[in-house]
Amino acid sequence: MTSHNIEPVRVKDDTFAIQTYQLTKIFNGVVAVDGIELNIKKGELFALLGPNGAGKTTTINMLCCLLKPTSGTATVMGYDINHQPFKIKEIIGVSPQETVISEHLNPQENLNLIGKIHGISPGELKIRSQQLLETMGLTGRVKDQVRKFSGGMKRRLNIMMALIHNPEVIFLDEPTLGLDPQARRAIWEYIIRLKGEKTILLTTHYMDEADFLADRIGIMDNGRIAALGTSTELKMSVLEKHAMIIYAWNLTQKVIGEMRSRYAGVEVTGGTMTITDKRLDFKEIVDHLHSSGATVRSAYIKEPSLDDVFLHITGKELRE
Amino acid sequence: MKFLELAKRNFKETCRDPLALGFLLGFPLLFMLLFGAIFGGGTSSSYPIGVIDDDNTPLSQAFIDDALANVPTLEVANYDDTATALKDLKFGDLRVYIVIPQGFGEQVSQNWEGKAANIFLQMTYDESDIMTSEQIISIINSVTRSFAHIEIPVTINANPIHIETEITYIDYMGPGIIIFGLLILIPTSARIMVSDKEKGFLSRLLTTPTRPLDFISGYSLCLVIIAIIQIVIFLAAACGFGMNIVGSLWLTFLIFFLTGLSSIGIGMVVASLSKSENQAEPLCWLFSMPLAMLSGCWFSIDMLPSYLKSIAYAFPYAHSIVASRSVITRGVGLEAITIDFLFLVGWAVVIFAIGVILFRRSMRS
Repeated sequence: MTSHNIEPVRVKDDTFAIQTYQLTKIFNGVVAVDGIELNIKKGELFALLGPNGAGKTTTINMLCCLLKPTSGTATVMGYDINHQPFKIKEIIGVSPQETVISEHLNPQENLNLIGKIHGISPGELKIRSQQLLETMGLTGRVKDQVRKFSGGMKRRLNIMMALIHNPEVIFLDEPTLGLDPQARRAIWEYIIRLKGEKTILLTTHYMDEADFLADRIGIMDNGRIAALGTSTELKMSVLEKHAMIIYAWNLTQKVIGEMRSRYAGVEVTGGTMTITDKRLDFKEIVDHLHSSGATVRSAYIKEPSLDDVFLHITGKELRE
Repeated sequence: MKFLELAKRNFKETCRDPLALGFLLGFPLLFMLLFGAIFGGGTSSSYPIGVIDDDNTPLSQAFIDDALANVPTLEVANYDDTATALKDLKFGDLRVYIVIPQGFGEQVSQNWEGKAANIFLQMTYDESDIMTSEQIISIINSVTRSFAHIEIPVTINANPIHIETEITYIDYMGPGIIIFGLLILIPTSARIMVSDKEKGFLSRLLTTPTRPLDFISGYSLCLVIIAIIQIVIFLAAACGFGMNIVGSLWLTFLIFFLTGLSSIGIGMVVASLSKSENQAEPLCWLFSMPLAMLSGCWFSIDMLPSYLKSIAYAFPYAHSIVASRSVITRGVGLEAITIDFLFLVGWAVVIFAIGVILFRRSMRS
């Protein structure tokens, strides 16, 4: 799958956890979500990346059955959002963009509330709470009222409340919004652990977050999915020429000449060689250099960032 | 001068918020208007009084029909015996009843002829209605003096002993203060619900398998428990200060409970119409404070002009004060306060239903 290609409407498929069909939401004449088509596989971590106001949260709110679509529909684990909202609510876990917790309750009480709403038995609730509190590093604060917690701790609890009932599909709306790098990293590590086990739809306007966490990324702008694919696919799709940076010894005129005969652009500054071409094969280049007499210390293919992708696709930079 | 910039910003914020401005200016103006209407100038309030004419002479009849009946603040009703009048006084249908004793007409005639006379009336009143009773004594005294053409005050044999209980100030004020407490339940209810709506807690729970009715029941149950605790504490405190509940404690509790339900219902309506706590709180105070004043929490509702009295009786609180005061001070049963009680039940049911419908609708939006 490459960018710019929007997936066509598909028939219901058991391999997908979430499918949307021309999902549209219009608020007072303003189109917030514009007929999006998405197919998210079971166990996939899918990130919706886009600036504020792109329509990410509205999309999630429709999939969580908080908002009725103006037109179109979607299915979550085969249940239709327009006709089976209650069924969907039983199998999803939602961590909203704002930290929504009961400040005067302790973490255990907050978890109990959601757990009991989902009908989890007291025994199971206790086990799951302990596991989550341990994993999220809140075991020591289990009896403290949440209002005394730091922003990062509250965020973690916010996510725990989406997981306490062991949902099949998890919606994480801007899970690290406003957190410091350390707190973000802690939450990323936990999300990574869930990968493969659960289907996760995550929204973010942090490029690095989508890049680090997601199996696939949908770039959203003005209510539409502007591009879709893995991080690498998206980055590669915007590149006309690739660049490889090589740090090497013995970059003699002979070596440079040989490389120039093979590749379109070869620049050498001191011990650094930069090769640019439409197609680059890492192993092939390293082998050529070695056979020409150079010794490669380190090398990498310079990739474009998701910022470059976003700029290329939407014509504007991603605002934070 | 950072603080000046901050002050400027805060001033602009407040002045540009029509609701905040309305609260700041409208609230005091409303109070001024209400106080002006109640205390400024003549009132059209009237007191029902009963008259038993034991003298039964043309003069005593003239005193009733011409003198007493012409006083705009008195509604005169004739009684044949003191037992019926006492019953009505006890049920609150009369403020006072007077007995014109035998020889009244003769004494008045003697006075007109310039002879020494001893004119007196017997008056029985409900001491729980302290302010009103004193006003009526004063009115009757001046009417009698004017009728009999005498300068000195008429002897009025005040007779509060017929009232079965000894009424203290706390007996009289207690119900009003408790109702005031229950009026404060309006902003409390609204704040709890709006806060959850504003902070997204409601939305979060709406992504779980919970139905809107679960939320509403959850809030209602919590608020009903708060109301019960409030009533128990208020009653205990009032009794601690010497309030004596002559009638049924359960009936008293039930009256307050129904009033509390109405407050919760009103709070729910306000919560449905408000988007934030900042909107809900002023709205509630704007509603509950004038209503506390009109309903007789702090003074007798009889002082109000008739149009304000009509407004007061359109809400449950005035009925609640009248009914609870009757039970607490006079020991009446349900049969004596049936209309007030039914009004309280009706209001609680209707406003609660409206609250539930509106709140449910606001949750969907």
